[in-house]
Amino acid sequence: MILDGQPLEFRPGDTVLVAMLRAGRHPTGGGCLCLAGDCPHCLAIVDGVAYVRTCQVQALDATVVIRQLRDGPLPPLESRDRDADAGAGDATGVPVHHRHCDVVVIGQGEAGRAAAAEARAAVGAEGRTPDVVTLDARDGQDVIGIYPGPLVVARTSGGMLHVMPRREIVVATGAAEIQPVAPGNLLAGLVTARAATALAAAGVALGRVVAIGTPPDGLDVTVADGTLVRFEPHGPSGSRIAAVVVRDAAGAERRHACDTVSIGLGLTPRDGLLRMGRAFGARAVGDAALDHTLPPCPAAGTVCPCSAVTVEDLDSVHGRGFCELDLVKRATLAGTGPCQGAACVPHIRAWLASRGGVLQPPFTARPVAKPVTLGEAAAGAHHHPTPRTALDAEHRRLGARMERLGGWWRPWHYGDPRAEYDAVRHGVSIADVGTLGKMRVSGPDAVALLEHLYPVPIASLAAGRSRYVVLLDERGYVLDDGLVCREAETRFTLTFTSGGATLAELWVRDWADALGTDVRLLNQTMSRGAINVTGPRAGALLARAGAGALPGFMRHAPARIAGVACHVYRLSFTGEPSYELHHDAGDSVALWRALLDAGAPEGVRPHGLQALLALRLEKGHIVVGQDTDFDSTPRRLGLDWAVRTDKPAFVGRDAVIRTNRVPLDRQLVGLEVEGEAPPEGAVIWRASNDGGDPPRAYAGYVTSSAHSPVLGRSVMLGWVRLHDGALPDALVVDGRSARRVATPFYDPGGDRARA
Amino acid sequence: MPAPDRFSRLEATRIVATPAALDAARWPAGAVVLRIAPDEAIVTGAVAPAAIEDPHAIVARETGFVGAWMEAAAAEALLERACAWARPAERPAFAQGLVAGLPVKLWLDVARVLVVAPAAFAHDCEARLR
Repeated sequence: MILDGQPLEFRPGDTVLVAMLRAGRHPTGGGCLCLAGDCPHCLAIVDGVAYVRTCQVQALDATVVIRQLRDGPLPPLESRDRDADAGAGDATGVPVHHRHCDVVVIGQGEAGRAAAAEARAAVGAEGRTPDVVTLDARDGQDVIGIYPGPLVVARTSGGMLHVMPRREIVVATGAAEIQPVAPGNLLAGLVTARAATALAAAGVALGRVVAIGTPPDGLDVTVADGTLVRFEPHGPSGSRIAAVVVRDAAGAERRHACDTVSIGLGLTPRDGLLRMGRAFGARAVGDAALDHTLPPCPAAGTVCPCSAVTVEDLDSVHGRGFCELDLVKRATLAGTGPCQGAACVPHIRAWLASRGGVLQPPFTARPVAKPVTLGEAAAGAHHHPTPRTALDAEHRRLGARMERLGGWWRPWHYGDPRAEYDAVRHGVSIADVGTLGKMRVSGPDAVALLEHLYPVPIASLAAGRSRYVVLLDERGYVLDDGLVCREAETRFTLTFTSGGATLAELWVRDWADALGTDVRLLNQTMSRGAINVTGPRAGALLARAGAGALPGFMRHAPARIAGVACHVYRLSFTGEPSYELHHDAGDSVALWRALLDAGAPEGVRPHGLQALLALRLEKGHIVVGQDTDFDSTPRRLGLDWAVRTDKPAFVGRDAVIRTNRVPLDRQLVGLEVEGEAPPEGAVIWRASNDGGDPPRAYAGYVTSSAHSPVLGRSVMLGWVRLHDGALPDALVVDGRSARRVATPFYDPGGDRARA
Repeated sequence: MPAPDRFSRLEATRIVATPAALDAARWPAGAVVLRIAPDEAIVTGAVAPAAIEDPHAIVARETGFVGAWMEAAAAEALLERACAWARPAERPAFAQGLVAGLPVKLWLDVARVLVVAPAAFAHDCEARLR
């Protein structure tokens, strides 16, 4: 074993603490050692992990220990890179094991063993022997918390153990020995009575032992009768005990020279886990169920060694009105350190009782009960996975810069976003739009459900036709947008935004249930791929790929393209003729490659999201979530045309009618500036003529911004407040004059998209 | 760490229909039927729409999932570590929930286990379940 860089001898069976004490080294410099995992005085950095209780760790040849001296620096934070996806499969590298059982018994002393035997004997109505899990710190199963579930979490040598009992949690953790509080109680040479017995049995030389309170078993000691007054060091600045002073019954101080003081002030139940688990039906047995006995009220000395809180500190906060145990904890941090109040709570309760005459219960216990590493605390937690489309590998193979956007890994660009943009505007390009939400609706009540969900007529939508729709909540705010596409009398396909698909599915299912409709719903977002073929030469590419007659604008039809069964949706988000080819995800790669091959003579190239966002911005198309806010109504978005309030009923109708009567306060508008695009989020200022300095007032902010190559200026969408009932015309963005203009910025008549 | 076979895309059929129609359906011999909801099933292989007695049923080819077979003992060792919820004791059985943070469906047969997940998480399956 290596201690502070030097070899240290130890005997077989020694704990790290015993090995250190045999060599005359105290782990933290001083304090009353308990050898039972209760006190905070034996903490050290063991094998790189700080705040380890050395009384609970076996000494081994390879063990490396660095002492955490109380007056020394804080241990460094561990900084070790881990591969989040490697090995154990979570972000921590600490494995987790799960165990389901009927009963878990924490602690395997006499009471714990009896409780386990009793639980096993209690055969339930199902006629089988209950599955009982026992955990004991001495067997390397250190329970660190009880969580809702209930879930009992233990640290073991093999990682973290998560135990989920169906019936009961039994806490049999015994009792801890009460620590002494008096001046000098952080000297070395103080041990509890049980610890004194254990150290003597381990062959650790204790020298002259003086006992305070109950003497240790089996040791020849001097008993110091009287009230504990103070511990005295060797010399004024000494760190080791030289004597203990008590006051006898006659009031006289008596000094007992010693090498070791044994402290036998009684027991306090180790009930932290019980207090954590009581809400989940945990019960205590044995000493863990003892009543809390109080030590004498401390007069001076360190009460909380973890947070260095003294009796004087208690006086100070009490004088400022912190008179409750929980308030004292918050004011002083007593009880928040590694021992979680095991050392200090009995004394603070005694101290508060002496001040107020009321005995307050121990404060709330919460996980974790003992220090754990961040890795142990996070063990079993996994990063939320980001889905990948079926074309993910194709994008990466083409050198795409992949980004997490709309909840998916998506190509931002393929190296030349301007060329990608030009391909769409002037030739042909393809894009992976498989992330779009896709849902099929079928059933006798399909029309009724969709009529209720959408603010436009559905029944009149002919089979083979598509309609742009916004999805409103009950307050008339826009939740999402997309298409309703009718396949047959009672069959529809709905599309949603990539980022909004999950919420939209929940929304549709919830309303289908709430209305009691007879419909079948199938979310195909992850099952169906979609490739958008867009640009003036899109039709030519598809013809090369074997497509026959293609549907007209806002129509859809099945088609076989490059041998792949597709459903073709004719629409336009880019402003150019666009055909979304929906297909089974398993066919995505074949279709993608076939389109690239077939489009080679047309100069096809894929475009990423960077180009797409600029293209759609030129058309003034919003992106829900980017251009909308949580309270965006269709009117504020300029989408009044997408809402038919003459429909008798739809979600949000009443709110839309009511808010339409209220004067408009802000609106999403189109803006133009010369030069480079201002950053998204930039403040929009209203130029004012009131003589203010600066001569402007806050008017809103930019939601989307891009330089438009085809227009030769930058275009934006942004929220602008109305001023004196009108949208201001003179605006400033990014220090430049901005013009408010109507959208679409590009091809306002939509002739190109419909071509 | 027990490792399943490499995850590969499943060729299956997804069916949404009335629970009664699914209960009454006659599935192709040898197909694994994952009843993921009272009104929804994923069936390995092809299923003819006519096999479902619900005129409004949605019967669609399903290629959006990946799957891998594991030996039962190896699967249990993996799930003991990566799965917080209790699996059914009987065999065969179907179960679904988060495994290693991934939405997984399990077909628990006597000798082996089929682990199924959305193909969109195939990369994560390879990383976390191997």
